[in-house]
Amino acid sequence: MSGTSEGWVGTEFHRKEDHRLTTGRGRFLADLVVPGMVHIVFRRSDHAHARIARIDVSAAKAMPGVIAVVTGDDIKDEILPMPQPVVQPALPANYPRHWPLAVGRVKWHGEPVAAVVARDPYIAEDAAETIEVEYDPLPYVGDPESALADGATIIHEGWEDNVIFQMDFTGGADADSQKAHEAEVQKVFDGADIVIKERFTCHRCGVTPMETRGALFDWDESDGMTGWLTTQRPHIDRLALSDILDIPAEKLRIIAPRDQGGGFGVKAPFYREPMLIAYLARKLGRPIRWIESRQEHLMAVSQERDQIHDLEVAASKDGTLLAIRDRGLADCGDGCEGVYWGFLMPFLGAVELPNAYHWPIGDIKVKVAITNKSALSPARAFGELPTRFAMERAIDMVARRCGMEPADVRRKNLVAELPYTSITNEYFDSGDFIKVWDNLMAEADLPGFRARQAAARAEGRYLGIGFGLGVELSGVASELFVPMENQPGYGAATVRLDPRGKVLVFEGDAPGGQGHETTVAQAVAHSFGIHPNDIIVTTGDTGTTPFGSGTVGARAGSYFVSAAVQACEVLKEKIARIMAHDLELADAAPADFSFADGFVTYEKDTNIKKTFREAVERIIMAPINLPAGESGGLEHTAFFEAEKPMIAFNADVCTVEVDIETGQFKILSWTTSEDVGQIINPQIVEGQMQGAIVQGLSNTMFEEFVYDENGQQLTADFETYKLATAADVPDIKVTHAPTPCPYTPLGSRGIGEGRPSDVPGTLCNAICDALEPFGIEITELPLRPDSLWRQIQAARGAS
Amino acid sequence: MSTTTITVTINGETIEETVPVRMLLVDFIRERAGLTGTHIGCTYEGVCGACTVQLDGEAVKSCLMVAAQADGHAITTVEGLAEGGTLSPLQRAFNEQHALQCGYCTPGILMNMDEFLRENPDPSDEEIRHGLVGNLCRCTGYAHIVDAVRQAAKETG
Repeated sequence: MSGTSEGWVGTEFHRKEDHRLTTGRGRFLADLVVPGMVHIVFRRSDHAHARIARIDVSAAKAMPGVIAVVTGDDIKDEILPMPQPVVQPALPANYPRHWPLAVGRVKWHGEPVAAVVARDPYIAEDAAETIEVEYDPLPYVGDPESALADGATIIHEGWEDNVIFQMDFTGGADADSQKAHEAEVQKVFDGADIVIKERFTCHRCGVTPMETRGALFDWDESDGMTGWLTTQRPHIDRLALSDILDIPAEKLRIIAPRDQGGGFGVKAPFYREPMLIAYLARKLGRPIRWIESRQEHLMAVSQERDQIHDLEVAASKDGTLLAIRDRGLADCGDGCEGVYWGFLMPFLGAVELPNAYHWPIGDIKVKVAITNKSALSPARAFGELPTRFAMERAIDMVARRCGMEPADVRRKNLVAELPYTSITNEYFDSGDFIKVWDNLMAEADLPGFRARQAAARAEGRYLGIGFGLGVELSGVASELFVPMENQPGYGAATVRLDPRGKVLVFEGDAPGGQGHETTVAQAVAHSFGIHPNDIIVTTGDTGTTPFGSGTVGARAGSYFVSAAVQACEVLKEKIARIMAHDLELADAAPADFSFADGFVTYEKDTNIKKTFREAVERIIMAPINLPAGESGGLEHTAFFEAEKPMIAFNADVCTVEVDIETGQFKILSWTTSEDVGQIINPQIVEGQMQGAIVQGLSNTMFEEFVYDENGQQLTADFETYKLATAADVPDIKVTHAPTPCPYTPLGSRGIGEGRPSDVPGTLCNAICDALEPFGIEITELPLRPDSLWRQIQAARGAS
Repeated sequence: MSTTTITVTINGETIEETVPVRMLLVDFIRERAGLTGTHIGCTYEGVCGACTVQLDGEAVKSCLMVAAQADGHAITTVEGLAEGGTLSPLQRAFNEQHALQCGYCTPGILMNMDEFLRENPDPSDEEIRHGLVGNLCRCTGYAHIVDAVRQAAKETG
């Protein structure tokens, strides 16, 4: 429907969320209080792998103020074990059976063993400390290679080995076709001018949010269960809890607080703790609240990446990429985590390994091994940060072997025509990669940099320039989401018009800082020709919102906003039909009415118009004399699903200076070029990019989960698990080279989720460019000055 | 559990409460004074800065003090920044520069930077970045926070 010539899409509009958040009036989970509420604290395993010989909870139970103490044995016959279908992917894998508390054995340092419910959280914590657990230690399996070695200790009872998941992404389903395909790929390698073969490793790290996890469950015999949960997926949590606790779904309402202190994927799984808290709230008849400590959080969740890739690339000497071969291996941890099971991240990482380059052929296989660590949980750049690091580094190595600029090898091999289907069957719907790349190169001024670099090198200073790029999911289509997570990909929005001409929007997903309230308000205001402040958005409450699979995979700008716009269009047509009827405009079509500046106007005679409020109020409050077949009221729920999966694209350049005496380096500049389609709110888009790139830098340079030789997790606080501070990171220059997406009503793309993924490769490429005289090729993350210094020393010693 | 009675002025209101001696100041602010704008991010390690408040005008991490230490002192929390319902220039700048996303770390950053700007009315970007090292933010990448602090400095300086 035409008519809104200028509007709110693409304009800078300061966020609606900010007033409450800058005045201390946000309402996060830890701020919620229910009358009679009591508190729960978990006692977690001190061992990485052990049989539980004995648990003595008598001292805890005897403490004044303690209401209940439970162990795995107390609950294993009361709660159905995981997996349950709604949180089990449709991919063939071994799904480890587990309960919220360890039963029989503990399998990682920090696994919940017992829980204490008490009147006061201080008392609950004291009581949990008094629980005596006697362990018979079992051998610790601490890395995927030893987990897969012959004679390895099998971690999950009844399994034949420690493989949770393996897949051949390119060779077909049966052994014969895979073998034939391997041979075909080998032929290309045999005939190639250049073959690069490297092992790339990416350490365990993630994107821990500033707000830890939490839950508050309240049971009432007649109403059932109300649960407030830090979650990106309230509707999925509701179904999963219903299955596991055998509570009819209609008696369960899950509410993600309107304010959540970041998610980044970490709040997307169906975790063990909420199961137990919901169970106990019903059993004890008391509202129970859990606020996870930072130590628990860093022991139990936020751990991602952790992949090894033996990557081979065949190329011709003019820099044309010919074939790729990858054997990926991921350290899953124990895999006991609903929805993701620790292996979906490496799965998607392999799918996205080819990136935006055209590969005529490839042979890609991945294995995911169970170890005695906490299960990998998702983090922004889901599974692909390690594969993109490997790929972006490998491209630079090919360039070096060809004697070409890495930038030229990239441009030469970029997928030039879309749509395109990759060798791993990833579909790229639309966009213009070359345009984004050329925009970046205009910003980069490569010849100018090379001149400065040469001059600096003559003075003994080492400057470097690095490039990287990434194709990212823009929402997750049902085509991918149903097999991957057994969930629908559509975006859903309910748009309800208020008789006074205001608009209520309901979203079943649950944002955590992405600014959905503002973005969708702008889109809806644009559609109806009213002001964004006239739109009120409700998110994440299963009692009031339409079904949504959750805030994941950059779904908001692609799927959710599109659903809201579609709902607006349906309502506008109804308003137009009824207005045409009222004004006896027999020839008027809905498209003849425009919605702008608070008016609904008949475009063929612009003297004929009504205020938006009048038009709306007439239909909601005075539903008489309606056209035949029309009813009163104005509310519509739309489910948006694009026909094909959609993507967004970006390319990055950074420059660095490395001090070869210390291995210290400084990032001098960082510029991105983005295709995010039609931008809805430029500030929010830029904020997503700034934040994502810094998360990528923080992962690359600082963060690392470390386990010692016995599986003790040594990095469970922010002193040892270091996040980037303001003084550690550069300002990012964000530029745009957009192509509107033809498959969304506004041309928008979902952005931000995958964005950290090309950061480690880009930065390491710049460092290796600076250190080119020493022939240093970084293949291992994290990137630390001490390891760089050792490599420089070794190279200098050798020369 | 031993208790003590303390008198604390928070955002201009004086309250007297009997508290356990071991109660942390941040818990006192959130649970006894009911001011939940002050957040807990690292669970009492003093690293993340989300619980930063001002004690007699000086920015402090309220998880590193027990409530009893605040006896007889004046505390300002994020709820006390806006005067008479008007946002301070710093609060407004955070909105205008999109210096927050989830908003969890924001109250602590505002309380720290409010004091910082009093001490450094005309800071360079590098000084702002160094002034922020006691506050972790996971969403923004910090650049827009630096922009907001710079804007507030210009407006008030």
